[in-house]
Amino acid sequence: MLRPFEAVFIAAAMAAAIHSPVAFAQTAGPAAWQNDLKPIAPADWNYDFAAHLLERAGFGGSPDEIQALARLTPAQAVAHLVRFEGTDASQLAPFDHSGIRDPGLEPFPPSRPAVTDQAKKTGGALGIQVKPEGSRRLQPVVNEFFYWLRASALETNRVAYWWANRMLTSPQPLREKMALFWHGHFAVNEAKVRDYRKLLDQLELFETQGTGNFRDLTVAVAQDPAMLTFLDAGVNVKGAANENFAREIMEMFTMGVGHYTETDIREAARAFTGWNYVDLKFVVNKDQHDDGEKTFLGRTGRFDGVNVIDIIMQQPATADYIAGKIYRFFAREDLSPELQKQLGAVLRQHDYQIAPLLETIFLSRDFYSPASVGTQIKGPVELAVSTYRKLGLASVPGVPDFNVATGALGQRLFGPPTVAGWAGGTSWITPGLLLERANFGRDVLFPDINFLPPDRYTADPEVRRVAERIRQGMDISAATKPDGKSGDLAESNMAADRDEDFNTRYGSFRGWQMAMERVKPIPRDTAQINLSRMVLDQHPTNTTQVVDYMIHRFMRVPPGAEAREKMIAFLNKELGTTDISVAQTYLEDPLRLVLHLIMSQPEYQLG
Amino acid sequence: MKKCHFSFSESNRRDLLRLGMYGIGVSAAAVPMPLFAQAAAALTDQTKPGGKILVVLELSGGNDGLNTLVPYGDDAYYRLRPSIGIPRKEVRPIDDHFGFSRGMAGFERLYKSGKLAIVHGCGYENPSFSHFTSMAYWHTAAPNSGEQYGWVGRLADEMAPEAPPNFIVNIDTRQSLAVRSRRHVPVVFDDPNKFSQEVFFDEREALKPSTNQQPLANPSRRFLLETAQSARQASALVREAWRKYHSPVDYGIAGLDLPKVAALIEAGMPTRLYYTAYRNNAFDTHVFQNDTHKRLLTYASDAVAAFLRDLERIGRADDVVVMVFSEFGRRVPENVNLGTDHGAANLMFVAGKNVKGGQYGTIPSLTKLDAGDNLVYTTDFRRVYATMIAGWLGLKDTRELLNGEFEPFDLFQRA
Repeated sequence: MLRPFEAVFIAAAMAAAIHSPVAFAQTAGPAAWQNDLKPIAPADWNYDFAAHLLERAGFGGSPDEIQALARLTPAQAVAHLVRFEGTDASQLAPFDHSGIRDPGLEPFPPSRPAVTDQAKKTGGALGIQVKPEGSRRLQPVVNEFFYWLRASALETNRVAYWWANRMLTSPQPLREKMALFWHGHFAVNEAKVRDYRKLLDQLELFETQGTGNFRDLTVAVAQDPAMLTFLDAGVNVKGAANENFAREIMEMFTMGVGHYTETDIREAARAFTGWNYVDLKFVVNKDQHDDGEKTFLGRTGRFDGVNVIDIIMQQPATADYIAGKIYRFFAREDLSPELQKQLGAVLRQHDYQIAPLLETIFLSRDFYSPASVGTQIKGPVELAVSTYRKLGLASVPGVPDFNVATGALGQRLFGPPTVAGWAGGTSWITPGLLLERANFGRDVLFPDINFLPPDRYTADPEVRRVAERIRQGMDISAATKPDGKSGDLAESNMAADRDEDFNTRYGSFRGWQMAMERVKPIPRDTAQINLSRMVLDQHPTNTTQVVDYMIHRFMRVPPGAEAREKMIAFLNKELGTTDISVAQTYLEDPLRLVLHLIMSQPEYQLG
Repeated sequence: MKKCHFSFSESNRRDLLRLGMYGIGVSAAAVPMPLFAQAAAALTDQTKPGGKILVVLELSGGNDGLNTLVPYGDDAYYRLRPSIGIPRKEVRPIDDHFGFSRGMAGFERLYKSGKLAIVHGCGYENPSFSHFTSMAYWHTAAPNSGEQYGWVGRLADEMAPEAPPNFIVNIDTRQSLAVRSRRHVPVVFDDPNKFSQEVFFDEREALKPSTNQQPLANPSRRFLLETAQSARQASALVREAWRKYHSPVDYGIAGLDLPKVAALIEAGMPTRLYYTAYRNNAFDTHVFQNDTHKRLLTYASDAVAAFLRDLERIGRADDVVVMVFSEFGRRVPENVNLGTDHGAANLMFVAGKNVKGGQYGTIPSLTKLDAGDNLVYTTDFRRVYATMIAGWLGLKDTRELLNGEFEPFDLFQRA
């Protein structure tokens, strides 16, 4: 049997002979496979197909992991990923709560003014009493408000880290990938939910039911406190239905626009009236529920929310919509209406079970056709996790900060911008973001020694300024004055300090300080990388072999021939030789630079 | 949302760390100013009309126009909004009928100095109440059509068919559909400090772009290579412009992305079309809207007013207008949650030194609402687009661009 390196080289030589000048042209099936849902044959199966499957159904992997999949039959490989056959995820640790919750925070008012109004009217809010007299009587209440905002946000960042570590280390990567899909589909964000516990509960729902039944999942999400908060369902009451929830359920979650009328939305909103939550539990407030007759999508009855979801599930548009969206996430962006209908039919045949649809997609010839292979632009979370998986890391590095890095690239876990989630595809890339992606690579390979942990050091210059001035012994008014600007002061800056009962800027600072004290820090280890060993284990003799191995290991679509030549020339120059045996003892830095060049290629974004 | 120049201390730190590093394609740590001059010179040959600049500001989420410019003289307003209607004494009156929301001192000043045009009743036939659908209609200027390219992108194609670099700038984390163009690759960035590839000295040669670009079958790969080229062309200019920008003007707490636009204009960037947004559906005020909404309006008003002051400082106030829109207004009657649901017709604003301030279009009736209790539109929003295209940017024919005949308003001072 060939060692991996030799096998790669034979493949490379063949590829180069056929597709010159492209190194390692990736093998896809024939073009005629496009739009063909028939399963591939065991004889079609190979290393490249396995690599493609692992890239999409999971977050990619090392050559060993790919090789292990390639040794199975296609059906076994897909069952291993989709049905979790032969895997055990019991080693994954549960989330470790910091313990930041105070009594009195529930129900959390919608805004700072709502908190101070409540405190003025009732003598307290958020479990904190108003001072009987003296200056800034409401300050402790305002501090507590900002405390929870910051603490929940910081703890959510820890949940995101915990999840990212599951993506990196779980033997069931599809569970995490599917949860990521649902997180983008049933999108909620921390900025509005403002409670990490609700987000954690929702994630658990996606983890446990993500490949199960779509109807059940939709009902569970519609009754999930994170979603109920996010879409203001809690205020949808009899006699005055709030349409937001019903509209988004139909438009974003199930059918897509064009399959219902405004009247359907209003009728559905009535059916959802009274749905609410108390802390982390779903409740139906019976006296707020409109029990009357509704006419929805041509059916009439005294429907409640579950009835409405069941009627939605009977619409052919629903299966087409959701199957199409799943296909776009896992296979490719452009999807013909005919293929979408076929996929919708698969979902309906299986009574909305997600796993059989995934199996159909992952086994289909279409999935391995040139239109699908190597054409997907990775989302930021996939980019980071697949980079870490290919590097063979055992945990997500603390430097760079995972959330800051992926957020800067346009995808922060628990931070989708709107209910529409992330648009994906080409929307992941702008000129600015493409450069930023290469910078992410550099931050992993050459960690910034001036790194400041964002959970200990706020990037908000205003909070830092207030903190500094308070420490210098300034009074609150002086410490919180905005920095001098010339000319007219903007209205918002003049307004911030008008209320003498409290100082918002001080509350913002103090809330941050209180949160930092109680939220556990995120470990700040840097990536443990040993590229020299990784490369030397392959026993290469010259720099060309090294560059080709690294391209093959880290890229699904190789760069152009000229870019490859430049990398080889670069490595020659850095090593002062083409002979690896001479350069063995000082390989690491030059290899990291080569990897940075690889990660800077436009093609590195493709999976 | 990222703040702009308020995070200067942070960016300074990063800049210091970056000393000794070089942007791709730039031969020294500081960009020589002639780079801008070259870029501008290359452009003037290829563009038709003069150097006018259009800045579009999107208020995403559906801004409640009735609580922005409050019809305090109309009893119907207070009947329909008994709880969230803004009391007469709290508005900033601009005449005996309308007044701006409390925090909009900036807009009030602009209006009273004749630099702000208000266009009433903007909308379109068969309005969509979906954020995403209606926004797509506004982005493409083509309701119910499925048009693939944005109106700003099509406008760029018309103004500069040779597609010189840096003609469209879109400041956001994602490219807007509005700037999607057949020929141009818009410059899209969010944080100017990060709009650079950080490259070690030794790597520069290896990262120079490849010379021979063979046609590629993989469309995603083709897209990435085109984007990489646009990034190379723009990033050094943008970074340098931002580094040099030190404005004394107070943009308020949010500032939006307008300081970045000002920085690029000050640096002489050849961009003619800027697109920015108050992002992330911020104006989607279904519940307890008054405090939040007032705050959003204050920030937006502060930012726009400051931007015009900044342009005066820069000396380009004569060349720039800002057009402000939202994908829809809100339902006229308030909901029971002290908020408002998605509606239809809405206000648009156009601000600039050369704007003929005042009110345009017909005020929609608060008593003759449509079946869903929404304002009936009186002005097709594409008339305002046509005003920008013909009246401001000087293109003769807007019919093809806007797929129909839309009469521009006479909204600008004669130069």
